[in-house]
Amino acid sequence: MLRLDRRLLQNVDWLLLGAAFLIIAFSVVCLWSLSPGRGISALVWRQISWVGVGLVGLIAVVSVDYRNLVRFAPVLYGIGLGLLLSVFVLGRTVSGARRWIHLGPLTLQPSELFKLIFVVTLAWALTSGRGERLSRGALIGTFVLLSVPFLLVVRQPDLGTALCLVPVLGAILVGLGVRLKVLGGLLLAGVAAMPLGWFVLKPYQRDRLLVYLDPFRDPLGTAYNVIQAKIAIGSGQLLGKGVGGATQSRLAFLPERHTDFIFAVFAEMWGFLGCLVLIVAYALLVLRGFEIAAGTRETRGRILALGVTTVFASQILINIGMVTGLLPIVGIPLPLMSYGGSSMVVSLTALGLLLSIRMRQFH
Amino acid sequence: MELRSGPPNRREAWGRRVLALAIACSVGFIALLGQLWYLQVLEGGRMHELSEKNRIRIRPVAAPRGILFDRNGLALVDNRPAFTLSLIPRELEDRNSVVARLSVLLKIPVGELLEALERVPADSIRPVRVRRGLTLEDVTKVEERKLELPGVIVEVEPQRTYPTSTFAAHLLGYVREVSDEQMKQGRYRRGDMIGQSGLERLLDEYLRGRDGGERIEVDAYGRPVQIMRREEPDPGAQVVTTIDRRIQEAAEQAMAGKAGSVVVMDPRNGDVLAMTSSPAFPLDRLTGNVDRDEWVRLVRDPMTPLMNRALQGQYPPASVFKIIVAAAGLQEGSLTPMDRIYCNGEFNLGNWTFKDWKPGGHGHLDMHGAIAQSCDIFFYQAGLKVGGDVMARYAHAFGLGAPTGIDLGGERFGLVPFSPSQRARLKRTWQAGDTVNMSIGQGQLLVTPLQIARMMAAVGNGGILWKPRLVQRVERADGTLAYGSSSKMTERVELSPVVWAFLRHSLAAVVKEGTGALARVPGVDIAGKTGTAQTISKSDSSKGQDHAWFASFAPADDPQYVVVVLVERGGKGGQVAAPIARQIYEAIFLQKVAQVTLGESG
Repeated sequence: MLRLDRRLLQNVDWLLLGAAFLIIAFSVVCLWSLSPGRGISALVWRQISWVGVGLVGLIAVVSVDYRNLVRFAPVLYGIGLGLLLSVFVLGRTVSGARRWIHLGPLTLQPSELFKLIFVVTLAWALTSGRGERLSRGALIGTFVLLSVPFLLVVRQPDLGTALCLVPVLGAILVGLGVRLKVLGGLLLAGVAAMPLGWFVLKPYQRDRLLVYLDPFRDPLGTAYNVIQAKIAIGSGQLLGKGVGGATQSRLAFLPERHTDFIFAVFAEMWGFLGCLVLIVAYALLVLRGFEIAAGTRETRGRILALGVTTVFASQILINIGMVTGLLPIVGIPLPLMSYGGSSMVVSLTALGLLLSIRMRQFH
Repeated sequence: MELRSGPPNRREAWGRRVLALAIACSVGFIALLGQLWYLQVLEGGRMHELSEKNRIRIRPVAAPRGILFDRNGLALVDNRPAFTLSLIPRELEDRNSVVARLSVLLKIPVGELLEALERVPADSIRPVRVRRGLTLEDVTKVEERKLELPGVIVEVEPQRTYPTSTFAAHLLGYVREVSDEQMKQGRYRRGDMIGQSGLERLLDEYLRGRDGGERIEVDAYGRPVQIMRREEPDPGAQVVTTIDRRIQEAAEQAMAGKAGSVVVMDPRNGDVLAMTSSPAFPLDRLTGNVDRDEWVRLVRDPMTPLMNRALQGQYPPASVFKIIVAAAGLQEGSLTPMDRIYCNGEFNLGNWTFKDWKPGGHGHLDMHGAIAQSCDIFFYQAGLKVGGDVMARYAHAFGLGAPTGIDLGGERFGLVPFSPSQRARLKRTWQAGDTVNMSIGQGQLLVTPLQIARMMAAVGNGGILWKPRLVQRVERADGTLAYGSSSKMTERVELSPVVWAFLRHSLAAVVKEGTGALARVPGVDIAGKTGTAQTISKSDSSKGQDHAWFASFAPADDPQYVVVVLVERGGKGGQVAAPIARQIYEAIFLQKVAQVTLGESG
């Protein structure tokens, strides 16, 4: 099973890997520039070591046939569910949300891991029925199966993760050719449930939505993040301020600057041109993912490829959209850029899954 | 059921659908680039400017609040530096433990600290003031443990200081941190100190000044990297009031331990020289941090210390109203100074018997004597001759039943029955008995001490009703005039000079030989009128405790001071209120004599 024959190696997608590593390099530079001293801070070293762990995950996934992975979906699902539940028991509350569990010196964010398990479970559930047809039963079964962990994620609350899973499900259903009428019905049901959602939201989440509608509602309060991020990005102008001149980021006016708002740090330092390069790299990664999905013949591979690609796409679009003030603020990391072990390892592993599918397309 | 649509060539259909999704994503990426173009290129210059400003912050330096002076240049309030405990939310790494430690250290309830913090965002870099007026001991405690208390700082701000806890409390008013309600007006910043009552509130805009600031380059933790420029604060404007601190102090001293009010006014221009309301509230304890229990106690206190009785307390004018009955009767011709009656202490009207305040009566009296002795029987008959309508008209003419127009808020109007609207409100027909009651200032009549002071000023000065003046001028720190006011006449009572002379003469007799004898001050002619207002009391304990009035001016032939005293449930006007007026007159005139003597010898 671990035998990698030459044909497989020939099909490694260097473009995909290249785009990913360019982004990771940007991430390391950004974190380094945020270090208070001259040396390389522990933060940077930790991020680099997470990249290392992620690469191990990537290689492990690449060397396994993804079909075996799908076969183990029920086990993965069980582990994922267990971790999500453990958050409520073992989890530490950070700014009103329980998202992390501690394993010795490490902190794990199960909802990050769950993004991947979500896709694998989808691939398993939607193809487990007999024949090629997608039955109504399989569809309903899938919904039931995924709604439990989904609600757990919402309850943590980790609205960002929950939010980026919705387009993933949508994209897969569209890809499988579910009739527009059915999709429309689901969409309507979702929209109808939104007012209900308002009551589920915590006060700070409501504030964020209102601030999105009117950022100057409370310029020193909740809108602070949005305004500071916009100022940081905008002040980068065309060419950026360089690593040393990024006052917004360096003087720490930016909140969450090394995690969810890292894009603003990048934009201030490298300006519009830098952003163009970064966004092109992300677009290449995502479009390559779609290409892999389109070129796959086997249904499980198709679902996995499309799912992983849309996990990336929705996180990237939502994160940058929120940092630039196009979308309301939800806690969601920028894949491969944001500081954070769980996100980095999961992103690289997901990338491995894409590579794995592409390598086996021609079987 | 077939859920999937699509042509038979499934591979092609899948590819097309994935392509559609890819296009949708590309649109998203293009939108992001568009927004970045907008922010970084189109708006880039402006954002760059903003980011420069961001680095340079202004740390506010509170402007000292303007000082209120009396008419002779004595300060009524002053400022002193006070220590304020502030928390910087961003710097509180472990909020709960810092708050807990602080709470133990300074004995401030944890709830109070958390409440202050909850009002601002958790990552705010602005200091939140949690307690003003720290003692030096507390400051030392905090400074000693600075390292254990990250995010806790002690700021120095000017704070109000008062001569005594309750001195001129209602007049000056208290100063307190802007409330959540007031924040909504959008004029204030959180933590601003603003006047909440009295002159402090009326003149807040002038008194507040403009906070200065230090331009400092800071990091987001508020740590100054470099001080770039310091802008001195503009101190608040100085206010010169019409108050005479000596008289105010004397009036408060004379009223010590009693409930009621004193108004001292200059009848020549309407200047309020003193105004007291007792019991008063402790100004110093309402300024800065207010103990919630203390506040509740003040609000619930049955003696209503927060009420300014001078303009919010409404009482029957009692015999003081006889001045108006006499004025109306003489001017209208229904009474003459020659009218004489025999007073046996009783007056019958239909089935009703009205009694005089003096059992057995006063015997033979003319109008002069009736005023001096405050004979009720005389005025019962006089009232019936003058009639309710005319009495009401003259009451209105002397400014009763209407606001005096003083600048302090919350003034009550009092009540003069018999205007059509008020009659309708009374919902019962007017009877002769009501006229009789009205003629000695009882019944539905209600007045405030300030209204009586204005009325007495008019009697003294020949009919001019002044708008009571409290503020002479407001001067900015650089000496320019921010606001100036001159005396304003609001109304004029037209009576024949003979009537004015008669009234003044009779009122002087009240003190010389009548009910107000206890107000007598050697060497000064005082004209006045006593009043004893019957109160409706349900319980026996407070029965017989009438409101005592003494309304006066002096010198009688050249009035310069109006002194009105009201003592709530104090007893008889002549026995309770008149001696208080005497104390005030002594302070006014004896001090003056002393000054004159000093001036001559020097």
